[in-house]
Amino acid sequence: MLGLLPEYSRRHKSEVLMPTEKNILVFLETERGALHPLAAEVLRAGKQVAQELKGELAVALIGGATISDTVDHVRQYGVDRVYVVEHPLLESYHGEYFCRALGEVCRTETPTVILMANTLIGSDLAPRLAWDLEAGLISDCVDIEMSNGEIAFIKPIYSGNVMAVYVPLTTPALITLRPRAFAPLSASDIPYGEIIPLSITLSQESDRTTVEEWIEEDSDDIKLGSAQRIVAGGRGIGKTEGFELLKSMADALGAAIGASRPPCDLGWISPKTQIGQTGEIVAPELYIAVGISGSTQHLAGMLGSKTIVAINKDSQANIFKVADYGVVGNYEEVVPVITETLREIIT
Amino acid sequence: MHIIVCMKQVPDPEGPRDAFEINQSSGMVEPRGIPPVLSLFDENALEMALRIKDVSPGGAKISVLSIGKRISNAVMLKALAAGADELVKVEDGSLEAGLLDSFATAHVLAAVINKLPYDLIIVGRQAADFNDGQVGIGLGHLLDRPVVTLAQAVVVRDGDIRIERVLANGYEVVKAPIPAVIVASNEVGELRYPTMIQRREAKQKPVHTWGLKDIGLATLPSARLRRKRIYAPELKLRQCRILGGTPAEAGRNLVLQLKEDRMI
Repeated sequence: MLGLLPEYSRRHKSEVLMPTEKNILVFLETERGALHPLAAEVLRAGKQVAQELKGELAVALIGGATISDTVDHVRQYGVDRVYVVEHPLLESYHGEYFCRALGEVCRTETPTVILMANTLIGSDLAPRLAWDLEAGLISDCVDIEMSNGEIAFIKPIYSGNVMAVYVPLTTPALITLRPRAFAPLSASDIPYGEIIPLSITLSQESDRTTVEEWIEEDSDDIKLGSAQRIVAGGRGIGKTEGFELLKSMADALGAAIGASRPPCDLGWISPKTQIGQTGEIVAPELYIAVGISGSTQHLAGMLGSKTIVAINKDSQANIFKVADYGVVGNYEEVVPVITETLREIIT
Repeated sequence: MHIIVCMKQVPDPEGPRDAFEINQSSGMVEPRGIPPVLSLFDENALEMALRIKDVSPGGAKISVLSIGKRISNAVMLKALAAGADELVKVEDGSLEAGLLDSFATAHVLAAVINKLPYDLIIVGRQAADFNDGQVGIGLGHLLDRPVVTLAQAVVVRDGDIRIERVLANGYEVVKAPIPAVIVASNEVGELRYPTMIQRREAKQKPVHTWGLKDIGLATLPSARLRRKRIYAPELKLRQCRILGGTPAEAGRNLVLQLKEDRMI
């Protein structure tokens, strides 16, 4: 296994890298001194690329004072190097500062491929870094294809109606990965990886952007991105109050609440709950679609779900073609019974 | 206040799957029987610009900028009818969507923007066809302006802008100097619906058509990615098990079945 061999050569960071080396760098997000749940997926993709290119795997951790708390966790995945960039201005994500910090890691590590998750942070950071490094960026990749040492990345285009296989023409190349597209890597018992702290000079600049305040919303709600179960409503819900019924069902199930585009556009529910091509892309264990007809744009956001349940009064609705279980009927009659039954059997 | 909104025409993403025909020899998607539409994300961007215009004391001028091989005025009319003041389009055979990567696109847009007055540039989160999501940040880089992404609302005040930027658990308020580039998030919501009168009047609004020469761009930057091939994804149709009975019985049966199958 890569990275677990004790005799594996350790190299000082100032040594010049041989041009034949093809090292991989993954940027991992952290939240309050803990690794982001998607980190293990990014590491899986990173290991896969490193093995194919016969390169080493390095990790970049960027943050404030709590960032070093995540180092041990990262080393449990057996990587070659862990770069740690710590600065008070990196306490929470700021595009310009994080780009500078990650750029610093890239100058030291000179990676061939840089990977990160296509999250709110990754979707901002990756293009910033790509423009700074004059690198090609393939965003929202769902698979990796390798043949004869040539590495290609696959991403959906045209709202998932077509898949495209891209080969980067630059070194480094940047890749963002769609959440839930790669199986998470398991941690090993033997932590491994050289720790390399990097210092960076940052100061607030008046000609750029400053964050003035943070507003926290609905902190009790389960987040779509990390939810194992999702209950989503569509145009068929018909009104704001309809979502209350769905919310009760979601609560009984321990599920997050989501929506297709129309309820968001019509103001029945927060636009942050939108699932689909124009919203969030999710892949939970269980997805219950209520009053959702199954437009291409919605399916693009949830087809990766493991089990799909459709509840719709129109038996011909497209959603039934992609569902594992279906109930044909008016949701106002069906959903309360589901909620009641769930409460019976779960307690 | 002068706002430039970059908008792209794309084949209607709501079109049926078989409308996205794949030409293997050219490696391009050839849409069949579906009309071009404004990319939904760019509609979010225009809506954001219109909301700024709604509350600007001195008014605001919104220029819609679009580049492409051929741009349909009929499609762009929607933007003018919704409240944009003029359309600037750059057409050239080399500007085909399937051939340009984000870097080339941003270079062309930046070259046009350099010829126009502006305080704000607003773009959508990504294009609805290739979903790259890199052009807004590219414009900031090329024009040396700050970029704020994931913007759900903007307030202009005292020569600065304050942007509500979407976070996983809420939002942050980001202050940026003007001129700046804003990448609108889908949270902005749907583009307003124009009235019949607005539609009629939109036909009188100025449309400027330029070529690459007019914007002083002789060559496009070389590609940073190569598209090796495209293919139709396997459509994972599932065998749907319909639970029978009255709606109430079916609801109960669904839960019991999910339980039996260890789904819950």
